[in-house]
Amino acid sequence: MSRHLFVTLVTAFMSALLVSGCSSGKPKFEPGVLRVNLGTEPPGLDWHTATDFTSFDVVSNVMIGLTAYTNDLKCAPSCAESWDVLDGGKRYVFHIRKNILWSDGKPLTARDFEFAWRRLLTAATAGQYPFFLYDIVGAKEFNAYTADQVKAKSKPGSVLIGAAPELGFKAVDDYTFEVKLNKPAAYFIYLTAFCPTFPMRQDVVEKWGDRWTEPENIVTNGPYKLTHWQHEYKMELAANEKFYAGPPKVKTIKMFMVPEQSTAYALYENNELDYIDNRSLATPDIERLKHSPEYSNFPLLRSNYLGFNCKKPPFTDARVRRAVAMAIDKRIFPKILGRNERPAGSWIPEKLAGYSPANTMPFDPPGARKLLAEAGYPDGKGLPPIEVLYPNRDDVTLTVEAVQDELKRNLNMPIHLENTEWKVYLARVKKDPPTLFRSNWGADYPDPETFMNLFTSYNGNNNTKWSDPKYDAIIAAAEGEQDPTKRAVLYSQADHLLCIEQAPIVPAFMATQNIMVKPWVKGIAKNPLDLQFFRDVSVGEPSNVINGEDVH
Amino acid sequence: MLSLICKRILMAIPVLLIVASITFLLVRVVPGGPFDADKNLPPEIVANLNAKYHLDKPVAEQYVLYIARLARGDLGVSYKYVNRTVNDILRDAFPVSLQLGSISLILAVLVGVPLGAVAGISRGGKGDTLAMFLSTFGISVPGFVIGASLIFIFGIVLKVLPVALWESPWHMVLPAVTLAFSPAAYLARLTRASVLEIVDKDWVRTARSKGLSQQNTVIKHILRNSLVPVVTVLGPLTAILITGSFVVEYIYAIPGMGRFFITAVNNRDYDLILGTTLVFAVLLIIANTMVDISYQILDPRMRVED
Amino acid sequence: MDRSLQARLKQIPTAVLALTIIAFICVIALSSGLLETMHMTLTPYAFDQTSDSYLAGPSMQHPMGTDELGRDLLSRIIFGSRLSISIGLTTALIAFVIGTLYGALAGYVGGKLDSLMMRGIDIAYSLPDLLVMILIGLMVGRGTQGILISLGLVSWMGTARLVRAQFLQLKNEEFVEAARAQGQSHFKIVFKHLLPNAIGPIIVALTFTVPSAILSESTLSFIGLGLSPPACSWGTLASDGWRSLRAHPHLIFFPSLFIFMTVLSFNFLGDGLRDALDPRTRLSKRTL
Repeated sequence: MSRHLFVTLVTAFMSALLVSGCSSGKPKFEPGVLRVNLGTEPPGLDWHTATDFTSFDVVSNVMIGLTAYTNDLKCAPSCAESWDVLDGGKRYVFHIRKNILWSDGKPLTARDFEFAWRRLLTAATAGQYPFFLYDIVGAKEFNAYTADQVKAKSKPGSVLIGAAPELGFKAVDDYTFEVKLNKPAAYFIYLTAFCPTFPMRQDVVEKWGDRWTEPENIVTNGPYKLTHWQHEYKMELAANEKFYAGPPKVKTIKMFMVPEQSTAYALYENNELDYIDNRSLATPDIERLKHSPEYSNFPLLRSNYLGFNCKKPPFTDARVRRAVAMAIDKRIFPKILGRNERPAGSWIPEKLAGYSPANTMPFDPPGARKLLAEAGYPDGKGLPPIEVLYPNRDDVTLTVEAVQDELKRNLNMPIHLENTEWKVYLARVKKDPPTLFRSNWGADYPDPETFMNLFTSYNGNNNTKWSDPKYDAIIAAAEGEQDPTKRAVLYSQADHLLCIEQAPIVPAFMATQNIMVKPWVKGIAKNPLDLQFFRDVSVGEPSNVINGEDVH
Repeated sequence: MLSLICKRILMAIPVLLIVASITFLLVRVVPGGPFDADKNLPPEIVANLNAKYHLDKPVAEQYVLYIARLARGDLGVSYKYVNRTVNDILRDAFPVSLQLGSISLILAVLVGVPLGAVAGISRGGKGDTLAMFLSTFGISVPGFVIGASLIFIFGIVLKVLPVALWESPWHMVLPAVTLAFSPAAYLARLTRASVLEIVDKDWVRTARSKGLSQQNTVIKHILRNSLVPVVTVLGPLTAILITGSFVVEYIYAIPGMGRFFITAVNNRDYDLILGTTLVFAVLLIIANTMVDISYQILDPRMRVED
Repeated sequence: MDRSLQARLKQIPTAVLALTIIAFICVIALSSGLLETMHMTLTPYAFDQTSDSYLAGPSMQHPMGTDELGRDLLSRIIFGSRLSISIGLTTALIAFVIGTLYGALAGYVGGKLDSLMMRGIDIAYSLPDLLVMILIGLMVGRGTQGILISLGLVSWMGTARLVRAQFLQLKNEEFVEAARAQGQSHFKIVFKHLLPNAIGPIIVALTFTVPSAILSESTLSFIGLGLSPPACSWGTLASDGWRSLRAHPHLIFFPSLFIFMTVLSFNFLGDGLRDALDPRTRLSKRTL
């Protein structure tokens, strides 16, 4: 009897499921509503302290700055309708549009930039990118001064000497913003399109403190505004009807936070997401889907490289480093990583000025073996133990395993792989970089400076312990050079020094972005900086929609 | 019983204090700090952050500050999610895990225990072997495989259940089943094992030979005595399920607190680690107290706490 | 095993089959380890030998297919059996010994000691596993020692609670009273009388620790405590391969199959052991 009851219950349950879950009548999309996957919760939206790319994904849609990046990496006017470059590149005067309103109706003024930049440079803000503004007169000193202020506050009784240094930027009037630089910096204009330099409302920030980015408090000036934030789950952006360039076509953006790629793809398959990228595409799925018309792939300005600790043998010898560079066939990376990565040759990516194929180390195993023998390790004999430390993540594991294999086969150089937990890895790499490590570097702005600066002797993120005064000198000269042609030549020289002559690193591959877009979504762009501006997107335009279903 | 409860409440305080203290030490001993990142922060900024969160003070002082805060019910702030306090985070996340965990617990018990009892009574028969296979499947297949398979079968192919997210009651079905799989398997095996123990006992044979019907014997004598191991396991199981499972919440994108047990450690988010640990400890104490109470009900010979 | 136990065990066909399977896997594991020291392999490929056929399905050449680096999955499963079996068994034994001793003491003595010891278990349960494992990894270093300590440390509590509950139940039974009246020592009562009667749930817990340890080992590998590539285990093969469930199911199917077979065998064996150990069990298929 109980068996019959069991069967009846199951049948009833399944019928209920079928009736309720039947999706034949469910529309595939809602016109004007875009559903995307952020992946994880943005740790915060304050664009001074935010460092996560998920935070930037949101901020770059709710805010605009002095300039904006275009999809072909140029700097276009945004808040500033024009600007003058004066005094041989040492002074910029930005003319701000008079018709931009914040989401609470108040007009945007130059003082909002002045406040924001000052706050970014104030040590107490604990921002990540104050050094972006260090080219500005007084910026570095101001930052150091405020750092001392913080220290003094924790030691009662100590007295601060002197007044705060003057900053080289100011709001000349409501719509004019002047910036003075220490020396001409050709890349400076790019920094004004970058999130941390966006304007901020002093009254809002001061009123709400740490909670000023909550939906009920935040005030923004971009094409969208934050209306809803269910933490760890989803965010909703609504079109800003008062946006100076007119309200965007997509009226609502629902940003879900689905951390598991295969689940996110299942949601896309089920028409619950309209546009997905790397965060929602696991490598095995990409293999399967790459022939779909909805799929595209494009390279990003994010380079993966191998780094040597140039103070640890055998990599104290440049010949050994160059041998390793010659012994790795970069084409293996897209083969095993399966995301259509672009094998890298030089450090400067193809799309940026200063790139030259001549800066690519050729794949030449016999040449590599000769170099290694020259350095005193014929056929790999006598090599000290080489340890590779890396954080455990699927793609990193595959990368280092491939390198291990290549070096064993082509150079007879055995390397020992040691994986470790993420934070332990960061702590160890900072304190004592391993003999060989793998790292990646994403461009902060579309200029070779962001890549080349990394390996100067004074860069805090240079874990190779390599320093070359010649290299430093070339970079310093390039930073100040106003003529773009001459600049490109200088960067190319530095690239040659870096990749061919000294080889403290081996560029491995450029990361790619893999996206899938539903047919009813138009306007998704291929931006190498991995930025997605949803104001240009439309969902279900009237011409291609009948009854909520896409006709194409 | 009342004295048992009172004693447990009293003992809860030192237990929680010890858990908080050991965890406090653990997080500070393990290398890697909350502000270590891929792109290094300038040292002045790290120093500034440390000062803001009192992490530059001597450990003993931090500890005292922490305990004082705990006593006020303030679980601290998150270093990663700067605009939220730990109380906020847990207040949002705990109810979700509670919902999912409760359903899974009930499911696991309602499926596992009867399955195990039936298997034990029909020992060696077809039902027993089938139950053995099913329960082995349940514990040797990892949770993410079960989850991904269920999503594929019921969400993509059959299209009868939602794929993921947490929007409607139907969204609870697949995650609850995924979460209940392994516990149900374990409960089934435990029930079966203890049923086997009892079924062989002389007094059961006597009772049966006296002519009591099979059903009667089962319900009255066997289950009552053989439920002790099952109930024992339910203590920690309740706390574990209700505080959420990282794997299930990750796969189904459910905003519960299970994910924090892993992510907070990965981020070295000290206060969040301590907050989740303490919530778990409190639930465990409550659950284990109820287990000990139920021992007295199930088997009066068991005297807990002389 | 003593003669009578062996004889009784032989009467249970499922237990015999299970034992055979486990013995077979152990032989494969041991011989592969032995052959490796002589630079030979059981299969045509070494476990770390890469090739050009990435992610190939099962074929004559590669009966279980290949992985993302073109390595033969069968060879990797054989290699992985060494660590998985040894980890699974040893962890289960560690948990069994520590858990049983702890739980027996608490349950037998009872009263305040029991209360204190149970609160100790509560504390052990509450501590964040991940942190403890990271710390052990850093203190003990890589290698099986660290894995065993970490896994053992987080697995013993369940067994201890079960044993304690059993002892609380059994210690008031008549046969215990009788033994005490006879003047038998506590030690004898615990080990000769109580423990054999309590063995049922304990063996279940034991057989459950095995797959739990095999699968948890992959978590350890995630935080850098476990193996260094190219070494692998069934747990790491499963956690590496599950995302390819739809695209390359062989990557998750075969490791899971082996884990399943091993666990099933241990389950049947555990059942058989329980039946064989219990003097009252009549070794027939039906109960009455």
